[in-house]
Amino acid sequence: MTSHPVEATGLVRRFGDLTAVAGIDLAVEEGEIFGFLGPNGAGKSTTVRMLVTLLRPSGGSARVAGHDIVKNPTAVRRAIGVALQDAAIDPLMTGNELLRLQAVLHGLGRKESATRTSDLLERVGLTAAADRRVGQYSGGMRRRLDLALALVHRPMVLFLDEPTTGLDPTSRLAVWEEVRILNAEGTTVFLTTQYLEEADQLAGRIAIIDDGRIVREGDPRSLKEAVGDPTLRVEVSDAAMMETARAVLATFGEERPARVGRLAIGLAGGAGRLADVVRALDDQGVPVAHIELDSPSLDDVFADATGRRLEGANSAQPE
Amino acid sequence: MRSPTPRTDPVSAFGPTVFEIGRRSLIRIVRMPAILVPTIVMPVFFVIGFTGSFEGVTRIEGFPTEDFINWVGPYALVQTAAFAGIGAAGTMATDLDNGFIDRLLVAPIRRSAIIFGPLAYTAMRALIPITLVLLLSIPQGGSLPGGLLGLFIAVVGGMGGALMLGSMGLAVVLRIGHIRAMAIVQIVAFAFLFPSIGQVPLPLLSGWLHTVARFNPATNLIRMTRQGFIGDVSWAETWPGLLVIAIGLGVFTGWARYELDQRAP
Repeated sequence: MTSHPVEATGLVRRFGDLTAVAGIDLAVEEGEIFGFLGPNGAGKSTTVRMLVTLLRPSGGSARVAGHDIVKNPTAVRRAIGVALQDAAIDPLMTGNELLRLQAVLHGLGRKESATRTSDLLERVGLTAAADRRVGQYSGGMRRRLDLALALVHRPMVLFLDEPTTGLDPTSRLAVWEEVRILNAEGTTVFLTTQYLEEADQLAGRIAIIDDGRIVREGDPRSLKEAVGDPTLRVEVSDAAMMETARAVLATFGEERPARVGRLAIGLAGGAGRLADVVRALDDQGVPVAHIELDSPSLDDVFADATGRRLEGANSAQPE
Repeated sequence: MRSPTPRTDPVSAFGPTVFEIGRRSLIRIVRMPAILVPTIVMPVFFVIGFTGSFEGVTRIEGFPTEDFINWVGPYALVQTAAFAGIGAAGTMATDLDNGFIDRLLVAPIRRSAIIFGPLAYTAMRALIPITLVLLLSIPQGGSLPGGLLGLFIAVVGGMGGALMLGSMGLAVVLRIGHIRAMAIVQIVAFAFLFPSIGQVPLPLLSGWLHTVARFNPATNLIRMTRQGFIGDVSWAETWPGLLVIAIGLGVFTGWARYELDQRAP
């Protein structure tokens, strides 16, 4: 195993005159969850389809699990698990039958296949539905089955292409939990998503793609910190003390727009200085009704990089 | 903590893979038996309908048998088996539509298994109309002077027609990428089977139809399939049919494989 289970250099894919992926460089570390974040049409799925050998690159190169995706695609396929954007599941088959088919496709023997099928069905909570046709499964059940199918052969690298798109919050949380467990067990995960919350919750490192290019890369915290100071919002319960509060807060950072009756500043130093702010307000006798600190979000990172907000930015947040 | 333990053999075994892909299509039939309605109705229509309507045609001079069922039965066998073979393309079209093909393409299997799996299913499916035609021919007065060898050759002819049409269907569907491609395959199948010696012997055909039928590969296939129903089996009438099957299968499976490779490297 190389130190980078997934690495790409100058990866390009063109469809006629359209350049869907315009020269991507990335290196995924062993054992991490790598988030590939971007809006619809940014080039996420095209990149994944190249990395999983479903699409030949127009330029550049990539290695997955140490194997060149063009020169040795079969070795790549042997090493990876793939759950693509639209769960490609035959609705006429049962979960059990699909898992057994998948096991044969990956070269497992009859006995091993039966054991593995049973284990995976239990793991994803589908034992009771194992002999039901997949067409009768809910969206969440189909996603969990798709995940189980991708795990049949214990892959080194797991590619999850928008694994929670269209799922209800409960199902989404269940998928997140399973991804965390898999990662804790040592599986490297390459996760594409258009959901900020998903990338933030799961990924140790993120690459943000827009218009076929990676525009930011790093761990979510550093990316957000790089955007700027978090915003501190203070609601003063006595209107007469507003100007005093404003003066106090001005010593901690630059004032930012806020709702009527509230004050906001960019808090230099972040959460570490929150206690100082509270003490200073108290020393001046400012009665505080409400105080909150908002860190920059990945949407702010995306906006900082592209000048646009990420489409559907908050639609994945579980309630 | 578990470390991932990937298998190291380069590709999964060919035989079990083909078997499982073919088995999946058979499962689809069990779950959705309506798929088989045309496969069952066509032989009945051909054997009973045609025999009743055209029985007198054998009195025309030049017909090599007095029993029309012995003439039309083998044609029905080839035609209905061939159309049953197109079903393989239907499964592939569905897989392209719903993305299941991607599951097969990212598996470490030989690409040819993705072609031969549906063809294995085609062979099984073709047995339905072949058996039906043979069974329905008996009460219609059908006989088999060519004996068991004639029966075997007839089954080979029907199966060959099914596999050729099946592999052509796979190629066309993979080329076009949509279930609408099935209509093209059916038209092409008719275009081959109709201007042949299916309904009337070659000497009784005239004009362009005679010329086309003479060189139409379907003529050799039907002649091979039919020989045991109207006389003894001979190598002279067998090898051209086998050659048609061999060339047809080679060309169409090669084409299908090429189209599959165009979908993923």
